[in-house]
Amino acid sequence: MATTTRQLDSWAVLRDILQREGVARQHLNSYNEFIAKGLQSIIDEIGETEIETVSTPYKVKFGRVELGRPRIVEIDGSVSNIFPMEARLRNLSYSSPIYLDMTIEEEGMSREATRQHIGDLPVMVKSDLCQLSKMSKEQLVMSGEDPNDAGGYFIINGSERVIVGLEDLSPNKILVDLEKVGAVATYKARVYSSVVGYRSKMEVTLKQDGSINVKVPSCPIDIPFVIIMRALGFKSDKEIANAVSPKPEIQDLLEVSFDKANEAPTEKDALVYIGNRVAHGMLEEYRIKRALSMLDWGFLPHLGKADDRRYDKAMFLGEAVCKLLELRLGWIEADDKDHYGNKVIKFAGQMLADLFRTSFRNLVRDMKYQLERAGQKRGGNVVGAAIRTGIITDKLNNAIATGNWGRGKVGVTQLLDRTNYLSTLSHLRRIQSPLSRSQPNFEARDLHATHFGRVCPSETPEGVNCGLVKNLALSATISVSVPPAEVEERLWELGAKSIRDIPEKLALEGCKIFMDGRFIGYVDDGERLAKAFRKLRREGQIHPSASVMFYEATNKKGYSRLYISLSAGRVIRPLIVVEGGKPLLTQEMVSKIAANELTWRDIVERGIIEMLDANEEENCLVAMSPEEAGAKHTHLELYPGAMFGIAASIIPYPEHNQSPRNTYESAMAKQSLGFSTPTFPLSTFVRQHLLVNPQSPMVRTKSTELLNIDERPFGTNAVVAVLSFEGYNIEDAIVMNKSSIERGFARSFFYRLYEAESKQYLGGMRDTFEVPSAESNIRGYRGEKFYRLLEADGVIMHEATVSGGDAVIGRTSPPRFMEEYKEFEIKGPYRRDTSVAVRPTETGVVDSVFMTENVEGGKMYKVRVRDMRTPEIGDKFASRHGQKGVVGLVVPQEDMPYTADGVVPDVIINPHAFPSRMTVGQFIESISGKAASLRGRTADGTAFAGETPDEMGRILQEKGFEPTGREVLYDGKTGRKFAVDVFIGVVYYQKLHHMVADKIHARARGQVQMLTKQPTEGRARGGGLRFGEMERDCLIAYGASMVLKDRLLDEADKTEINVCEKCGLIAYYDAKQRKYACKIDGDQAKISTVVVAYAFKLLLQEMMSLNIAPRLRLKDAV
Amino acid sequence: MTAPKVKVLQESDDEISLQLEGVDRSYANAVRRFCISEVPSMAIDDIVILENSSVLYDEILAHRLGMVPLRTDLERYVLPERCDCGNPLGCQKCRVLLVLDATAKERPRTVVSGDLVSEDREVCPVNPNIPIVKLAVGQSVKLEAYARLGRGKEHAKWQPATASILTEGKGEGVFVLKVETSGTMPAKEIVARSIEKLEEKLKELQKEVEEKAAQ
Ligand SMILES: [Zn+2]
Repeated sequence: MATTTRQLDSWAVLRDILQREGVARQHLNSYNEFIAKGLQSIIDEIGETEIETVSTPYKVKFGRVELGRPRIVEIDGSVSNIFPMEARLRNLSYSSPIYLDMTIEEEGMSREATRQHIGDLPVMVKSDLCQLSKMSKEQLVMSGEDPNDAGGYFIINGSERVIVGLEDLSPNKILVDLEKVGAVATYKARVYSSVVGYRSKMEVTLKQDGSINVKVPSCPIDIPFVIIMRALGFKSDKEIANAVSPKPEIQDLLEVSFDKANEAPTEKDALVYIGNRVAHGMLEEYRIKRALSMLDWGFLPHLGKADDRRYDKAMFLGEAVCKLLELRLGWIEADDKDHYGNKVIKFAGQMLADLFRTSFRNLVRDMKYQLERAGQKRGGNVVGAAIRTGIITDKLNNAIATGNWGRGKVGVTQLLDRTNYLSTLSHLRRIQSPLSRSQPNFEARDLHATHFGRVCPSETPEGVNCGLVKNLALSATISVSVPPAEVEERLWELGAKSIRDIPEKLALEGCKIFMDGRFIGYVDDGERLAKAFRKLRREGQIHPSASVMFYEATNKKGYSRLYISLSAGRVIRPLIVVEGGKPLLTQEMVSKIAANELTWRDIVERGIIEMLDANEEENCLVAMSPEEAGAKHTHLELYPGAMFGIAASIIPYPEHNQSPRNTYESAMAKQSLGFSTPTFPLSTFVRQHLLVNPQSPMVRTKSTELLNIDERPFGTNAVVAVLSFEGYNIEDAIVMNKSSIERGFARSFFYRLYEAESKQYLGGMRDTFEVPSAESNIRGYRGEKFYRLLEADGVIMHEATVSGGDAVIGRTSPPRFMEEYKEFEIKGPYRRDTSVAVRPTETGVVDSVFMTENVEGGKMYKVRVRDMRTPEIGDKFASRHGQKGVVGLVVPQEDMPYTADGVVPDVIINPHAFPSRMTVGQFIESISGKAASLRGRTADGTAFAGETPDEMGRILQEKGFEPTGREVLYDGKTGRKFAVDVFIGVVYYQKLHHMVADKIHARARGQVQMLTKQPTEGRARGGGLRFGEMERDCLIAYGASMVLKDRLLDEADKTEINVCEKCGLIAYYDAKQRKYACKIDGDQAKISTVVVAYAFKLLLQEMMSLNIAPRLRLKDAV
Repeated sequence: MTAPKVKVLQESDDEISLQLEGVDRSYANAVRRFCISEVPSMAIDDIVILENSSVLYDEILAHRLGMVPLRTDLERYVLPERCDCGNPLGCQKCRVLLVLDATAKERPRTVVSGDLVSEDREVCPVNPNIPIVKLAVGQSVKLEAYARLGRGKEHAKWQPATASILTEGKGEGVFVLKVETSGTMPAKEIVARSIEKLEEKLKELQKEVEEKAAQ
């Protein structure tokens, strides 16, 4: 098996990438770049602020920004450096102070330099700012951290939040499209021009009549393209036409546009034309000024804001029009918005940059206002006093804590999934699309060819988010930004010509060059340049993240284009370079990497493997296996199995499954219980599960080792027979061996955290932790028995057995309103009972009690209650192939079927689970698992590279079993052989976190809602079970009217109302006369009592409130 | 039907294979099932934890100790529900006290089944090397464990047979019964006790039938 050995080996390269970089590298890189450069550039952009005081105005200039170590300022003002663990335990935010150097400048003279604390920046765990990134594994263990934690998230108020990667259209790229509404075709070219934290969309439209207009966000009306060109300083028509293209076919199509621009023949006219639209009704001088500032600041901002950038902007607009017309002429095809080369992914750094930009502006504005009010007082201390650090700190903290990014962007952050280790890792590699989940967006949800090796084809949710929420593939890496200056220098050396000075011939036939959305020039032979560029990159002279893509004109008349991308956020993936049909990666190098003598970076630098983005891959021909590689191939897949993401990569033999099954398993693996973190003795997650006897799977995949699944497993190996069992495993139920359960199979713990803190109120009153006593006038006192487990300090003791309603933390609070008791001063001040009690439906044992202090200096308790869960009827289990089911019956061992060797299955599943689902992977896993158990060594089930069913069957045969996995089974009840052989083997089973203990619910009588007097809803409120419309229809169909009345009236919200028979309105109770009366009919009224549903009475009254008089016409009951 | 014939095909302390001839399949299977569910054996059932600073919770520790197979002498001990002492705490005839007192002083230590000290030498773990819990330096476990007789149908820890298999032998009406023991008692004894229990139950049934028929 040549392929198997090869793939097995080149796996070492991929493993090296993921293990060295970590699963959360994309978050860390993005954040690190933000703190290293982004922060400073945002500050530089604002630069200074002028303080306009009456006498001598002055300036505050901003200098270098610096970040301190993560720390917390205690209530007494003392500062202490903290680690993430302390932040989690004490509900703190893990953040660093931002210091900014400022200079006070008066009349052009520097007066005083000062360094000020301007706010706190949330620190990403394991980023360069985080202490943990500098620690060894041993040190991490000593400081109470998980040595395998990937980092990449924030800790705000003690909870872990991830900024999920946000998929976005590539910025600064001209994308052309054809929109057809009926027979009317509109051609559009769009550009999302972006600079750090700011984005402006430009749209060029070619209408049916041939006119070309430009839409700019700051201008309410579209502007003819020629007018913008004139306003940008292009004087002659020829100049403008040539900026689009010297080709006659294209210039012919510009005629209409020139005609439409006749009203503004000069630069000044054009500026006035634009000014009229952006600043209507102002002075002409002002209008021109506004037009120019619109062109400099709001139009294509990525090309710069200085007035010398206008030429570049005009050339860029010309190119957009050129591309648009090429589309119109049919020389090129519309751009594919779903192509992954047209997407970038924004991570924490970019997202925080947006926020920081606005909050820093707010801070500066506030500071300016404060200083101007201060008047003549000036100097470092005054500046310091004018800075309200909360502006930045609160904005950043709130945004991360709630996911609310402003401007309608919600759900940007999520609570880190700690169900099991795998779900945490998968969460860190998740990508969200900003597209609306309520619209179909069919194409955007589809798997695209360019997703291969970048985005997992299996791991996506079902339902509204299907295809919009994605997960990075194992082989995917996110590009980092490359400094453009040196790359540009290389291009000039390689013969590129600047757009500032283009020979006519080159503009006619040459290849256009774009660098990160800037149209920089032309070259005669684009393909040659691309090759030379790649050569330099392979020699290590250009950063490996830089990519080049050559688009060769398919139509002879069209332009060829060369795109160079240096931006961060492109999804890149490693490929082996092939030269002359030979892959450059040798067995020897791979062995060296496996032996840790060489790193993947070394071979990237030597040009042996390359990190390609989806655009550059369009220029490549990638072979799947070395045998396939021929003279035409440029690259070879590094490891095909790495096309899957984290969750799908743990599925053994996924290539044998029907694809949706792998999708289902990807979702379910994230719900399975396991060993999520070794820090759980100290973990304070609100809900948490722990599997007591987790096992590493008998049938593993390559990522089992890569992702440390052996140390953090999430399931148990089970002996599974495929057999029907007395009907107790129909409809996907599973039958479970009672003895297996008693021996500890799938036993788990459920933890629930209860917390309470002592708050300080106005007037110096505080919450106090104590055992509420019956004597001391406490409102809401629950009764002595609920507090019986509390100790003298008001908190429950370790290992106490608790059940619903028992107080775990005793606390009393001052009255809500101080005036309340003053009026009735008989009893004196009272206190309220605000004790925290165990949830009504839960029981358990007090596992741990944490006592600490929150950031406000209040005492805080956290009590964790654990509850042991042994599998019972109704608990949900699943194999790794999307085969889920609930326990239908627990069978004593002696009743279970047995093999001739005395093996009794742990689980029996129904044969009907297979034909329609086609999860052949599970059969193979079963065979492999059985063979692996017999030979005493785990089996490899990695996609495309695992040990084959034939190989495993042979092992079974050697050990005296059928290679098919089938065996004679005996019925435990009769001792008789089953008529057919039964398929039995070892399958890894996951216990999912849906357990009956959390869901079982019944109600005889109980609470009702205040408004409707109908039973409450939901288990937590002891609610009723809805007798819905369909159930009602059912009873009607049966003619069971008494049952219907019983359910819907007698046992629901039956009420008696009194109605005046004469007017049909509801009567009222006259307390003086002691009878019901009617205001309308007075003495004539005849009041009768009627039984109705309370909701009906409510309806009548609500209608009355709308000025409708609903009248009831009464008749005697028959 | 011919008279029942039994032939020992293979025997060791751990397992026994018997060829049964002239018995009904239902009878043979009942014997097999009784080996799992009805033959009593010793296992720890009640634990008083005096100290547990290990990482394992009390309930997990108790579960692990319960699964340790103990040597069982059915001549000297009776099931608690059949004991005449009437004491809910049990007596010399119906329970055995085992004590575990382990501390990791200088280096981490694995507590094994052999660390259990029994008041009755005969009732001790079958294998002294079964790991119970790993202790880090400074951690300790101190507990009293009460073992008693119980039956497999109550809990798997009281199953004396790890495997109990009835298969078809050569020829009509010939069966092979194979029993493997967890070590609590010899395999041979499990089978013998199983038949004894079955006979006992059949006698009870017979008595019941006769009484009812007489009415
Ligand atoms: Zn007794």
